[in-house]
Amino acid sequence: MVHIRIDGLTVAYDKPLAGGAFVAVSNLNLDVPRGTFVTIVGPSGCGKSSVLLAIAGLTKPAAGRVLVNDRPVSGPGRDRAMVFQEFALMPWRTVVENVRFGLELQRWTGEDLTERAHRYVRLVGLQGFEHYRPHQLSGGMRQRVGIARALAVNPEILLLDEPFGALDAQTRESMGDELLKIWEQDKKTALFVTHSIDEAIFLGDTVVIMSTGPGRIVETIPIDLARPRTIDMMDTAAFVEYRRRIRHQLNGEVPAHA
Amino acid sequence: MRSRLLVSTVAVTLFLVAWEIAPRLRLVDPFFTSQPSRVLVAGVDIIRSGTLLHDATVSLSEFTVGFALALVVGVPVGLMLGTFPTLRHLLDPPLMAIYATPQLALLPIFVLWLGIGMASKIAVVFIGASIPIIVNSMAGVRQVEQPLVLAARSFCATGRDVFVKVMLPASLPAVMIGIRLGLSRAVLGVVVAEMYVSQEGVGNQIMRLGSAFRVDHLLVYVLLVSAFGLGATTMARKLEERVAR
Repeated sequence: MVHIRIDGLTVAYDKPLAGGAFVAVSNLNLDVPRGTFVTIVGPSGCGKSSVLLAIAGLTKPAAGRVLVNDRPVSGPGRDRAMVFQEFALMPWRTVVENVRFGLELQRWTGEDLTERAHRYVRLVGLQGFEHYRPHQLSGGMRQRVGIARALAVNPEILLLDEPFGALDAQTRESMGDELLKIWEQDKKTALFVTHSIDEAIFLGDTVVIMSTGPGRIVETIPIDLARPRTIDMMDTAAFVEYRRRIRHQLNGEVPAHA
Repeated sequence: MRSRLLVSTVAVTLFLVAWEIAPRLRLVDPFFTSQPSRVLVAGVDIIRSGTLLHDATVSLSEFTVGFALALVVGVPVGLMLGTFPTLRHLLDPPLMAIYATPQLALLPIFVLWLGIGMASKIAVVFIGASIPIIVNSMAGVRQVEQPLVLAARSFCATGRDVFVKVMLPASLPAVMIGIRLGLSRAVLGVVVAEMYVSQEGVGNQIMRLGSAFRVDHLLVYVLLVSAFGLGATTMARKLEERVAR
């Protein structure tokens, strides 16, 4: 059951100073089945974030299209919610108010929005910090707010654009672990962009490897690791083999025994 | 904090004492420098005669009307200029030219247009205060971080939502800075405009008393203006801190 179909997607940005357009993504095809966790890994500038923005309906494709539930995406929708690398929290809003933000904009009615926001604040483990402002929180806690804000609007699809890219390695690992625990509860379709190979393998049912010049998919690797996943799996032979394979692919080399 | 208050109090006290004693020791001529005690006496004198109330009312009215107009016009115009690039490109050069021009250079023209009454002073206050308000409000909108806008849009925000829920609160601290800067320009505008062209008001009194060599009385008005300016700016700063958090 395909949930998201990316069909010949080309994303280009105007570069008036350079005199022309910069092609970020070129003729990209990808099917994402419902309920799967797909990670996209690749070097910076390979257009992986552009793919996400196109699915979110925040950038218009130069060519091709994105279909969600067989319907072409023409703009942002209630069925998709995004988590941003720079957190993108409103600094004047408290934690609860930030989580409420999406609910307000989507004009949720019929239930107490603040109460619902509180529930998602608890879900991401921020009880006790409800009335803090973003600048009073650590990076990891800020991104929990970002995740709670996205989950609160109950999207079908979760789009995560290098959400842990601004965090230190240790926080990053535990955030990934917690994200999976939350995801396991209702298995929304998730697209997760990262440049960390380990993160991509650890989280994903499928790892999509992208390359630059212009952005395209070079390989799609199904990750056959049991769920629920644990941090210890990162030391297993299978995990190490995936890591080796992806690293070779990213370096543009053919794996020795492939 | 407490030590800061202590040092300030000691400094002010020392200054007042020195100012009082120096003329008595014949170190300076009180005809030029006056003395705290003489200023005090002059103050009582001015209040009793009723001139203070009259002149303060005139100046305060000019200030209030001019500054209120600057707020009502400046904030929306600044926000609009920040939002619409075409409008900004159109109005940026004249705006910058006025910003760079001392507001009082325009006084003769305003007098020509509006006469020597309150209207020309209101115009000077308005021009002086509205420009920093416009420029800072504009900068506030332009400095809004794009990811915030993107986040709002990802939750299906309309253009109006983006403005009300992102642009407006995000640029509020910059707007407040503009208001504080505009405030000091407004105080300056009232007093100096009155000094040059008017028949009443605090600035007019300062000028008259100066020509009459009445330093004691003159200083009463000067102290009044600086107390008002200090009070207004402090209030604006407090408001600014609350907004910026």
